Amino acid sequence: MNSLNKRLSAEKRFQAYGLFAVALSMFFVLILMWKIFSTGSGAFVRTTIEANVFFNPDFIQVNQNSLEKELYRASYVALADEVVRQNHPNLNEEQFIKVREMYTRKFDYQLRDYLLDNPDKIGQSIIMKITASSDLDQIVKGNYPRDVPEAQRKINDYQLSVLDKLTSEGKVSSVFNFWFFTKGDSRDPETAGIWGAVMGSLYALIICFSFAFPIGLLASVYLEEFVKPGKVTDIIEVNINNLAAVPSIVFGLLGLGMLIGVIGLPYQVPLVGGLVLGFMTLPTIIIASRASLRSVPPSIREGALAVGATKMQTVFHHVIPLSLPGTLTGTIIGMAQALGETAPLLMIGMVAFVMEIPGGPLDPATGLPSQIYLWSESAERGFLEKTSAGIMLLLLFLIIMNTAAVLIRRRLEVKW
Amino acid sequence: MVEQVNSFAIKTKNVSVHYGNKMAIDDVTINFTKNDVTSLIGPSGCGKSTFLRCLNRMNDVIDSCKVQGEFLLNGVTDIYGDSIQVETLREKIGMVFQKPNPFPKSIFENVAYGPKIHGLASTQSELNDIVMESLNRAGLYEEVKDRMDDIATGLSGGQQQRLCIARAIAIRPEIILMDEPCSALDPIATARIEELINELKENYTIIIVTHSMSQASRISQRTAFFHLGKLIEHGDTSKIFTKPDKEQTNDYITGRFG
Repeated sequence: MNSLNKRLSAEKRFQAYGLFAVALSMFFVLILMWKIFSTGSGAFVRTTIEANVFFNPDFIQVNQNSLEKELYRASYVALADEVVRQNHPNLNEEQFIKVREMYTRKFDYQLRDYLLDNPDKIGQSIIMKITASSDLDQIVKGNYPRDVPEAQRKINDYQLSVLDKLTSEGKVSSVFNFWFFTKGDSRDPETAGIWGAVMGSLYALIICFSFAFPIGLLASVYLEEFVKPGKVTDIIEVNINNLAAVPSIVFGLLGLGMLIGVIGLPYQVPLVGGLVLGFMTLPTIIIASRASLRSVPPSIREGALAVGATKMQTVFHHVIPLSLPGTLTGTIIGMAQALGETAPLLMIGMVAFVMEIPGGPLDPATGLPSQIYLWSESAERGFLEKTSAGIMLLLLFLIIMNTAAVLIRRRLEVKW
Repeated sequence: MVEQVNSFAIKTKNVSVHYGNKMAIDDVTINFTKNDVTSLIGPSGCGKSTFLRCLNRMNDVIDSCKVQGEFLLNGVTDIYGDSIQVETLREKIGMVFQKPNPFPKSIFENVAYGPKIHGLASTQSELNDIVMESLNRAGLYEEVKDRMDDIATGLSGGQQQRLCIARAIAIRPEIILMDEPCSALDPIATARIEELINELKENYTIIIVTHSMSQASRISQRTAFFHLGKLIEHGDTSKIFTKPDKEQTNDYITGRFG
């Protein structure tokens, strides 16, 4: 009896350890999430300053009838300065420079983009919400302290007084930062967006899938269904399993040496990135696909063979369709892993500063993780929240892909 | 007793089968008469299933399996020879397995698959006719005619097995091999299958492996008793079950071993 009590209390202790382990890991996940969300949420809003903008046709030297090309080339930099002067009258030159610094350096682009969309506003005065500079944005969001000596602040006392005046006039407001989702990278945090990196990753994943999925499927079907097991297949099997465990940077080196060095594909393009991620995903797909082919009951193969189907008909009509849910699940999980890989992208140069949103797999691009890495290296406080917001987006994509994998398996799985 | 060559569906001579170094069938010579039901009986592991699977070369897929001896289809075609391809052979010799193994597709697709790959139907209506006729012969048509597009794995075990029989006869074989077709079924489903076998023997030669001696005596005209890879005795069912020549056979059918 005593020994039974001992055994039962041992079980209770074991359960307590298990509960503790689960709770501890949940605690760390929560801390991680809290940290990412509290830092990153700022990236989704940006501070704007309301300003009166007069599109003076004489000043920018265009009129209602100007061609789009002319509108594009008009002197917006000067117009931006003029807008600042008009909204803050009676500034001396030193004060003007300080006030101009409170607005984004890309002021001129904002004016240009607006006028290109609304050419009929030439000659008219409108109220625009001009994006504030990142430093001002951080002050407004409370990420930079105000109560430290002026020398330690990026916004000096004069700028603070202007800001307070603007605030009291109700001209400072926060808007949802669409730019983060629509723009490419930028030197200025306030205009930097993730979309270029998203497209880069998307092209890379499309290349990765179209390369790795057919090859992985063919290889696994051949190994599992056609080839006679022996020494050679054993060696191949061991090597595939080993490849799945090779660090991703090695695949990056392979891409750099082979695809770029020997074959001569261009540097920092999603085509090469996708192929490298494909090399990396291939073993995962082969292993998942073989396991899923093996789980198709032999009785199905016998049934097809017994009515006179050839081996190939048996495999293609019956075995592959039945194994596809498992193969697809493995593929998606492999691709989700590939989406988060940074090291291979670093090796093949998909970590450069790219402003343009790539239009295809042969345009220079970054990927999501390498963009996050780039931002995390920047000194400005504004990029810190971009980094966390980028991580949030990456996590969102990973969650979507893994959910898709689970759903596909549930939907397509055959009940025996 | 001299019989016409063409009255045998399959003739075999000196058949031996090895799995690696292990002998499974040892020098078996047996002929199967046309339009009869022949039962292969014997204790577990006696090689009767192995022998059955040699007849339509289902053992080909097992790499370690080596088959020796002579197999003649209709007295002339060498089953393991070059004159017939294995797919054509299996078109002539159908098979039903121990566990019902319908494809996880629609009921219609299950039956239509064989005729499709062999090109037995040139139009959709011909295919429909073949499927309908096969299901009819397998005694399943009335039960499934309203749900031909339902997935076959949703049928009951007995229905699934009759579907597999329909699938086998849809390609118009001459011979049907059955490997313990009732062992996974309840007594009522078993009775249906036995009834069906009785009807099918009008048109087909049936070779059936069974564990049940009562089933063998009910459905078969000929019975072959296997033990430890050897064919002990082969003859008319009535004779085997009443006064067998060999003492071993007698011991087995009276339940003294096995």
